[in-house]
Amino acid sequence: MGPAKCIRSPKDLEELREEIKSKRKPSKSSISVCVSTGCVALGAPKVKDAFMAELEKQGLKDQVEIKETGCLGFCEQGPRVTIYPEEVCYFKVKPEDAPEIVSKSIREKKVVERLLYQDPTTGKRVKKLEDIAFYKHQVRLLLENNARIDPKNIEDYIALGGYSALAKALFEMTPEEVVEEVKKSKLRGRGGGGFPTGLKWETTRDAPGQPKYVIVNCDEGDPGAFMDRSLMEGNPHSVLEGLIIGAYAIGANEGFVYVREEYPIAVENISMAIKQAKEYGLLGWGIMGSSLNLRVRVHKGAGAFVSGESSALMTAIEGRVGEPRPKYVHTATRGLWDKPSLLNNVKTWATIPLIVLKGAEWFGSIGTPDSSGTMIFSLVGKVKNTGLVEVPMGIPLRDLIFKIGGGIRNDKKYKAVQVGGPSGGFIPEQFLDIPVDYDELAKVGSMMGSGGMVVMDEDTCMVDVARYFVDFLLEESCGKCIPCREGLRVLSSTLNDICAGKGKSEDILTTEEIAETMRESLLCALGRTAANPVLTSLKYFRDEWEQHIKENRCQAKVCKALIDFYIDPKKCQACQLCLNECPAGAIQGDKDQIHLIDQEKCIKCGTCYEICSFHAVKKLSGEPIPSAPKSMKPIRKLKGGK
Amino acid sequence: MVLFVCQHCDYKWDYRGENEHYATCPRCRYKVRITEDKVQMLRQKRWTWSSASARSGLDTAVKEKPVKLIGIAGIVNRAAEDYQYDKSMLIQILLRLQKDFGWLPMEMLVEAGKQLGISINQVYQVATFYKAFSLSPRGRHLIRICTGTSCKVRGAPTILEKVQSFLGINTGEVTSDGRFSLETVNCLGGCALGPMMIIDDEYYGNLKLLAVKRILSKYT
Repeated sequence: MGPAKCIRSPKDLEELREEIKSKRKPSKSSISVCVSTGCVALGAPKVKDAFMAELEKQGLKDQVEIKETGCLGFCEQGPRVTIYPEEVCYFKVKPEDAPEIVSKSIREKKVVERLLYQDPTTGKRVKKLEDIAFYKHQVRLLLENNARIDPKNIEDYIALGGYSALAKALFEMTPEEVVEEVKKSKLRGRGGGGFPTGLKWETTRDAPGQPKYVIVNCDEGDPGAFMDRSLMEGNPHSVLEGLIIGAYAIGANEGFVYVREEYPIAVENISMAIKQAKEYGLLGWGIMGSSLNLRVRVHKGAGAFVSGESSALMTAIEGRVGEPRPKYVHTATRGLWDKPSLLNNVKTWATIPLIVLKGAEWFGSIGTPDSSGTMIFSLVGKVKNTGLVEVPMGIPLRDLIFKIGGGIRNDKKYKAVQVGGPSGGFIPEQFLDIPVDYDELAKVGSMMGSGGMVVMDEDTCMVDVARYFVDFLLEESCGKCIPCREGLRVLSSTLNDICAGKGKSEDILTTEEIAETMRESLLCALGRTAANPVLTSLKYFRDEWEQHIKENRCQAKVCKALIDFYIDPKKCQACQLCLNECPAGAIQGDKDQIHLIDQEKCIKCGTCYEICSFHAVKKLSGEPIPSAPKSMKPIRKLKGGK
Repeated sequence: MVLFVCQHCDYKWDYRGENEHYATCPRCRYKVRITEDKVQMLRQKRWTWSSASARSGLDTAVKEKPVKLIGIAGIVNRAAEDYQYDKSMLIQILLRLQKDFGWLPMEMLVEAGKQLGISINQVYQVATFYKAFSLSPRGRHLIRICTGTSCKVRGAPTILEKVQSFLGINTGEVTSDGRFSLETVNCLGGCALGPMMIIDDEYYGNLKLLAVKRILSKYT
């Protein structure tokens, strides 16, 4: 990077953009390696090093550029490498593949077929990203640029038209017009509640009191959601640009970015982005030569789910215990240090530059009339294609799971999808055709939440999952409101009893009663929606609950107290794998001798079930265990069964 | 720094006053008019100091260390100074201390409270509320296993049990030889790769039961 140039007017920005563009030749090859958490976990740094070494070896170091970019969303197929300008995407790249890619793909401009994405249904190799089923049905407004931008380099963002929305807002629009534009776009808060963003902005703008604050909420505590992380890691400047526009619109001059401490790469990238924006005169005193001053600081969250709630997040920024407080007066009027504070989710902020630049009408044309724009979901769990998907609002749930997600793993049966983290509910098969937007999801007892979508198949026990969410919330409850603190405790013990096979027939009633009370009486939105998983699980899967209580049977064979492990003597190959791995020493047998599980000793850890390569270990629930063969003598020799 | 030159005696000084119309020369008491551009610079200067110091009640720009602090006080002081003794930065300071030191001994909490002017009660409240802080020593390697929804449906509980039985400790405990401490986290944001485990800063995705033993034995 050259010496930083301070941008003092919109003209400066355009000049800088031209300068950056002229420096870069579009025909120059570049290799972009994804370095977000998912790919890093799969070994992306090693892949990058291998490419560096290979380029040096082949003497191409000056002609080819290596870029570290953000996430494309298809984390399961990582590490992902894209070759520009051909835009060929390689998935599951290993360090050993570097020489082949460099010599074939870069030197000879050919395609390495072996590493292209293979369509699981047709078996064909797909070259272009847009042709992959996972991407075909998506509308990628926010995630699009992730793969083209080095998040640590502001020039990449500027070259792609970054910060022109800010210039437009600052010099062509008044703050009122910006607020009006956001209102007209009908953008709704992407954090989960779906409150109209424009209205929130207006309230903060009109609220008395100075100074005002703008805050980015990146405390993505929902288990099963990671789109905020990916956006923060991949394109932090888009969030920052939105934040600056927001500050201009409401008249704030201090901003905060609250990021979870569990996302180290996101913290690093946003800190870097703030530093660079300051150097370029896009933050600080007199932004772009206008009269707007804004200082932005990064706050790390210290691991508390409840801190994601707006008032709790503000107390956490104040350096105190992050507990929610009554919202008789909304945080938009009295928030951080009792001053008007505008808090929005990462995705909301990142959408703002698009609205300002392209206009509210364009934005309103995407999605449904009441929920406009796109939403990013993290489609995870038991689907074939897991990852981040960005779709227009109103897409049918079935398309999302079966077209984009590619259906259920191992072709099992779909059972439910859990939308919106611990606050959302389960959606069973009969509602698969509902369009996905704020209101429709609320109708079936779930909510948008932050957009985590965990798909469950027939191997998931709904009572067990409900218990999991209750236990999760019990641990995370701040303990301020009694129905939450005590209610969850009772719920947890009841559910644990049911899962342990000690359920009583009145348990279902008790559960319902507590859940209803919690919904009515709690302070924060997280608490009020905490009962959603339990209630929807009860509503749609009541038979499964009754099976647990009355028949001591777990249909999905998950609840440990209700299942038994059994080795099918016909399938057992006496390989001794389970025998050696069993932590309790409960498996009897020997070489060439069929193995048996001693039910007395078995601790039901499931190790044998996981590792058996012949699928000989079976789970039984609610049925008697077939009696063991009488003798332990060799019945059949390994491989000699002719 | 906003430099002023006295037109009367040519004395140069760094003006830090509030007045935006004229500045008084410290040497000859001559009143120097403040031009429009200087006013802008002054406002900018004051703005950069303002909010943090206003909240912590200290003028951070002129704060000087009275004595050199050593030991725990020194460690805390270094962190506190980076955050300009801002009370609202307590969580950040504790996070930083925890990162440097591994865990938060009581002395450190007391010292942090003293230096920031916060009661020990409040510091303790914060340190116990947030999950990231550990008030007891940790092992040499920190194992964190994700038990988020996605990892759960993909089999994280079996992995957790395997690790527990292999190390002979429960979640939140340290092995007797001080090698490992085991914790669970709610979501690491690697949902597509579940079940997932982090040891120190190394990520292990798509974990298989059989791999656990091999991975753990890599760490000494």
